[in-house]
Amino acid sequence: MRRNFRTKFYLLNLFLWSAGCLSAPIHGQDSASAAKALPVSRAMVKPAPDSGASAAPVGTFNPAGNEIPVAALLDTLLKNPETRTQTIKALIPRADHNLQDFFQNLFKGNLYEYSPPAAKANPDAAQPKILVIAGPETDRDGENWVQLFKTYPMQALLDENGAPIYAKTADLTELETDREVRAMVQPLLLAFDLDNPDAKKRQSAALSLGESGDTLQLPLITAALEKEKDGKCKRLMQEASARIRLHSALPENRAAAAKALGDLHSGSALAELKILASTSGAGMESDEGARKEITRAVQTIEAYASYTSIVQNIFTGLSLGSILILMALGLAIIFGLMGVINMAHGEFMMIGAYATFIVQNLFHKYLPAPYFGYFLAVSLPIAFLTSGGIGVLVETTIIKRLYGRPLETLLATWGLSLLFVQSARSLFGDLTAVSSPELLSKGWEIFPQVVLPYNRIFIIFLTITIVSLVSLIFYRTPLGTLIRAVTQNRAMSRCLGIGTRKVDALTFGLGTGIAGIAGCALTQVGNVDPGMGQNYIVDSFMVVVTGGVGKLAGTVLSGIGIGTMNKFLEPFLQSVYAKVVLLAMVILFLQNKPSGLFPAKGRNEDL
Amino acid sequence: MKIFEALWQREKTALAFAFAAILLIPLANAMGWVSDLNLNLLGRYFCFALAALGIDLVWGYAGILTLCQALFFCLGGYCIGMHMLLKTGTNGVYGSALPDFMVWNQVKTLPWFWEPFHHFPIALFLALCVPVVFAMTFGYFAFRSRINGVYFSIITQALALAMWLIFLRNETMLGGTNGLTDFKTLLGFQLAHPAVKRTLFVITAVVLTSAYFGCRLLIASKLGKVLIAIRDSEQRLRFTGFPVARFKLFAFTLSALLAAVGGILYVPQTGIITPGRMDVKNSLEMVVWVALGGRGTLSGPILGAVGVSLCYSFLTGRFPGSWLYFLGALFVAVVLFMPQGLAGALQQLPFRKRANNRSSTDIGPAALAASMAGTSDIHDPSGDAQGTGADPLTTRNTTAGVTP
Repeated sequence: MRRNFRTKFYLLNLFLWSAGCLSAPIHGQDSASAAKALPVSRAMVKPAPDSGASAAPVGTFNPAGNEIPVAALLDTLLKNPETRTQTIKALIPRADHNLQDFFQNLFKGNLYEYSPPAAKANPDAAQPKILVIAGPETDRDGENWVQLFKTYPMQALLDENGAPIYAKTADLTELETDREVRAMVQPLLLAFDLDNPDAKKRQSAALSLGESGDTLQLPLITAALEKEKDGKCKRLMQEASARIRLHSALPENRAAAAKALGDLHSGSALAELKILASTSGAGMESDEGARKEITRAVQTIEAYASYTSIVQNIFTGLSLGSILILMALGLAIIFGLMGVINMAHGEFMMIGAYATFIVQNLFHKYLPAPYFGYFLAVSLPIAFLTSGGIGVLVETTIIKRLYGRPLETLLATWGLSLLFVQSARSLFGDLTAVSSPELLSKGWEIFPQVVLPYNRIFIIFLTITIVSLVSLIFYRTPLGTLIRAVTQNRAMSRCLGIGTRKVDALTFGLGTGIAGIAGCALTQVGNVDPGMGQNYIVDSFMVVVTGGVGKLAGTVLSGIGIGTMNKFLEPFLQSVYAKVVLLAMVILFLQNKPSGLFPAKGRNEDL
Repeated sequence: MKIFEALWQREKTALAFAFAAILLIPLANAMGWVSDLNLNLLGRYFCFALAALGIDLVWGYAGILTLCQALFFCLGGYCIGMHMLLKTGTNGVYGSALPDFMVWNQVKTLPWFWEPFHHFPIALFLALCVPVVFAMTFGYFAFRSRINGVYFSIITQALALAMWLIFLRNETMLGGTNGLTDFKTLLGFQLAHPAVKRTLFVITAVVLTSAYFGCRLLIASKLGKVLIAIRDSEQRLRFTGFPVARFKLFAFTLSALLAAVGGILYVPQTGIITPGRMDVKNSLEMVVWVALGGRGTLSGPILGAVGVSLCYSFLTGRFPGSWLYFLGALFVAVVLFMPQGLAGALQQLPFRKRANNRSSTDIGPAALAASMAGTSDIHDPSGDAQGTGADPLTTRNTTAGVTP
């Protein structure tokens, strides 16, 4: 029965508190109108008592009634400057949401003593000073005026006629607080965040509370945990609670906390646990049993971390490999099927990225916000067409004259790439960024602490789509048949009436178009800048060389291989050395297979 | 003796240029007619010309396009730079015996691989040795497995990129992005002194001249013939029983050596060496010097290197931002319209053509004389190239892939 009553009371409090939260205005117009409901004279003469909202404390369940009312405490704060620190100490455990603004402003040094002017009805009676919160400063006739707010709860202070009261800053006396008080208040502000309706706020509050390791805050976080519904917040709060309990005076509590952290695979507590687990040094755990538990927790966490890092590496390796595949696919088509070394391939990718950038800006300018998320879908074909179109243009003007001279095409296309880079630099400047659509900006949390960003997943799927499309085109369409025929025997194809010139141009356009799509995809994981193409060109050539130029499958395999290899080497070596080791591996690989994984079959002399 | 007679007959222009570079220009500088700055610039361009000469040897004659020549150039340069930096000693900004960049990076003792560079002969030996050994090792693996043509170019480019990234790092103790700088003396001579600068210029000119004539002799020899044969048909040569990989390795290593010598002479004249000198772009730029000047001519690359570098100085001074447009257009234009470069284009002029024909009949079929001019290789290679006017250097490639 008694328990039932308590629950009911608690729920009632909760309800009233949330109502108070909703009705408790912060600034401006709303506050004025809300305050009208209150008896004005009372609001004028003394600090407001419990005005409507009940005082449900943030932390512990603590029904008011057998203690001094908060309003009285606030009053004491003003009247007895000597006991100020003690008063605030007494206020902290009583902190309810109506006090949030009070503490926030106390922390900011925004609390003032204010002497109201004498009332008209009784001009001789001196008005008692009251504690106020000052609003933002406004300049009026060269003097600074601020609007005044009541402290508990924060509401606009109104005069007899119901108009908000303003005061000159010069007339106000700041409520002096010392560093000690502010240090006490800071974790409390975090605790308020623990109750914030915004899940992000709750998470960051839980994180910083765990970081602080302040045992005084344990009740707060325990209470917050009881109420928490959101899974991620709950996890973070459990972690924070365990990290605080790690500082507990009792060894068995510390051991239990360590066990909890181990079970949670808490990566953020790892450093702290390691210090505790060490057998020497300042921060070591003194109790033998607790240390054993802590060591076990460290092992659990580390094992989990290495497991998750493998998953992460495979994933980032796959996504890097996908970008390389997209790049190298175009290269392989142009190089393998046409014998042209396209050093400007990276710049065709850059053109695709800038096309995406322009489409994004056009969407921003001309379309209403709800449609903005679709820009990526629109820019994919546009990037393909732009890069492909420029590619066809380049083929008909320059490349056409260079067939059969691969080294010359290397030089000419390198010159072309310099021209493209410099043009992009003078057109767009040095750095521009493309934002991710809302849909892609988040990630998929496959298990705690392992988040796979959607934009990378998108790139992987895009690559799969493009590769299947290209192989479809090559092996299932008339165009593909033509391309393969011209590649195999140009003169015979011409004899049979195939327009080889046209096929060349289309093939080159297809290759550069795919580069454009790669550029479009790349905008989702990096910046767009004129030099972006050159960062990838050498790597993609390595992919083509390793894969061999005979089959598209070679490109796909070596792209994935080089991408994941790169990511797996990076943790052990730095990325630079990873690259060097990778190069050495490619050279050694070519020792055995000089023309790559899938060499072109035939009796041609070497290319 | 016959050789020198032939030299005198065929190389009058080259000898005149060498005379001007070794004697006249330094003299004019001493008289004050040529400013120290311009002399210094020209000296540096001669160093580039040495590297370009190496590319011509390996690309123009042996048909191997290397895209890491700037790497070898810088390896030589870094070695000599390390020596000079150690000699700066306590005269550096921080007054420490260690190089300044080590003081910034809180390095307390000299890394072990810096120790040998205290002595000039060892430093010079290493400056020549390191690039050569590097090129030999890399070339051995590459040529052994018959990584050919474009594949080789791409691999060398990746190598250049990887080495550039390594040199950019601070922990490799080579100065990171800032490179090596603040050189004061070389063999006790003040580098800033005009007379020392002039001497360095003369040394560079002498080295370039001897390298040029050395290459001429090499090309005229049987060895040179084999290199040209590799370019024209590697397969045929291999079937005839020549160890092709060994010849290619020799050419590649020699070209690396030439680049290293260029780098060794470049650093004292410039006073700084940074990884920026060895990035992918620089190697490609060196290739375009050769392509512009005319590959397979030996004189063309020197012209190309000096000419393009002069354009660079002029354009970056007058029209900043236009340089990359110019360079890019140059790449495209040279490949499209001057497949044999400036030297080739000069030979194509009507009056030169006649002179060429006459001179070749004058001297007669003597193998030595005919091959003295590398240009003759271009003009009477095999019968099929002459009729079509196609570039004989690449005829072999037309067989691959595209035409049956």
